[in-house]
Amino acid sequence: MKENWWKIIGIGLMLFSLIFGMLTPLKPGLPSVFPFNGKAGNQLTLSIQGYNTHFDEVKDQRVWLKLGDYTLGASKLEATSSNLLKATFNTPDILPSKDSVVVFTLISDNEIDGASVMPSAIFVKQANIDSLGAAQIWPQNSVDNLHQRAGITFPYRNVLGETIRNLYYHVSLWFAMFLILAVSVFYSIRYLHKENMVDDHRADAMVSVGVVFGLLGCATGSIWAKHTWGTWWTTDVKLNMTAIFMLIYLAYFVLRGSFQDEIKRARLASVYNIFAFASIIPLLFVIPRLVDSLHPGNGGNPGFGGEDLDNTMRMAFYPAIIGMTLIGLWMADLRFRLSVLADKLLDRM
Amino acid sequence: MLLEWRQKNVIYGILLYVVSTVFIVYISTGDIRPPVWNILFWIIVLFASINAMVKSFIQENNQRQLYYYQLAHPVAIILSKILYNIGLLFLLSILSCLAMTLVYESPIKRMGLFGLTIFLGSVGFSITFTFVSAIASKADNSSTLMAILSFPIVIPILGTLMMLSANALGLIQDTAFLKDIYTLIAIDGILLGLAIILFPFLWRD
Repeated sequence: MKENWWKIIGIGLMLFSLIFGMLTPLKPGLPSVFPFNGKAGNQLTLSIQGYNTHFDEVKDQRVWLKLGDYTLGASKLEATSSNLLKATFNTPDILPSKDSVVVFTLISDNEIDGASVMPSAIFVKQANIDSLGAAQIWPQNSVDNLHQRAGITFPYRNVLGETIRNLYYHVSLWFAMFLILAVSVFYSIRYLHKENMVDDHRADAMVSVGVVFGLLGCATGSIWAKHTWGTWWTTDVKLNMTAIFMLIYLAYFVLRGSFQDEIKRARLASVYNIFAFASIIPLLFVIPRLVDSLHPGNGGNPGFGGEDLDNTMRMAFYPAIIGMTLIGLWMADLRFRLSVLADKLLDRM
Repeated sequence: MLLEWRQKNVIYGILLYVVSTVFIVYISTGDIRPPVWNILFWIIVLFASINAMVKSFIQENNQRQLYYYQLAHPVAIILSKILYNIGLLFLLSILSCLAMTLVYESPIKRMGLFGLTIFLGSVGFSITFTFVSAIASKADNSSTLMAILSFPIVIPILGTLMMLSANALGLIQDTAFLKDIYTLIAIDGILLGLAIILFPFLWRD
């Protein structure tokens, strides 16, 4: 029991991350608004779709259109259900901007849900442009006394929605895979240094777990891509590089399979493992950053950070990385013991 | 390794291989545009070089390898093979470029950049293929293994090369091509360092 503490920690952290990551509700958000365009001077009636909101239970619901410091509150509000709100705005003839089409941000606030923001929610067209005149008509900084939603929530992001939870599993799988492959390279180097068969078995077990994690990472990423990009697989550079990287590691198994002699196999597999690991570093970390990519963290796209990764998410994300790595090491350990036992059995026969 | 130079017929064979491949491509495609030219050029060079490299370890018999082993240090052997192969591949790329120019019009806009690209390409291909050929030569099904092991490793190099040569062909106007060159040099450097460190382990047999 004493030497198994790390397995228990791994399982515990993973369970915590699964339960916490899956059960914590998302912060209320505004997924869509209809219509999304209008004319200045008209009365604008917007149907605002809410997510996890309680429009029909609250009394102090407020909604604004916001452009810079200028904000226009809704003149009439009518909640048809907990997730549907009709808001009417009386827009002045002129807008505080020099453009003919102006993009407004929508802000909603009430005591239960707290404040939610929908950026670039509605396009308003103005016939006459008079930004100085409009600056005197439009109210400024009327958004105040915003509420905070009580309890622990994950941030709501348009497009991502509930799939924001996939961050804990998809990203941490890749982290864990990379750590495990790095450990396997360590064992390969040790094998070449000391020529101890045990190290080769360990390296082999680690690579197989790493490949399984890579496949799972692809699968979770694919689900995420289906939701956000609308397709299971695209010709995005990061995805292609991942496919190549899987090919490199599958070739490792082909290489192992093509030798009968144990020592020869161990040595060549170790050499190839080191070579392969070095060649995936430019594959996964350098090239995707140089060219355009849809994937977060590449080609000018920001990774998760700032507002997208708040502290409640970190509470599920970091345990998932550690837990995933520990479980992977445990899986590799089981495989390693299996291959050692198989070797012993062969020796006895 | 001057020894390789003795097998002149092999080199002539490879050069003829390139020319006939270009001709086959020419007959089957007719007129092509610069983007296709770029792709075809690199595919021809890739396959010609893998054919050329297979022989560097695989087609040598064991007795001769034993003889080299007693004669020279393993690092000297891999370095000389890599250097020789760089020269061979550079020659091969220039020749296939010339052959392609002969049958199609040359779309190359920036000769210097294109020359640098094919030089860096031959360095990268040569290091990867020589090293992988050393691994594959130990196995029985070596030529299959050679392709399986080397293609995925060579793809990042190939991708960067294609971008650089697209630049040289004037297909894209990328001012950041220096970054690509540095990436390529860095990849080549890493692979060369690893090949030198790891080759002595492969050699002992």
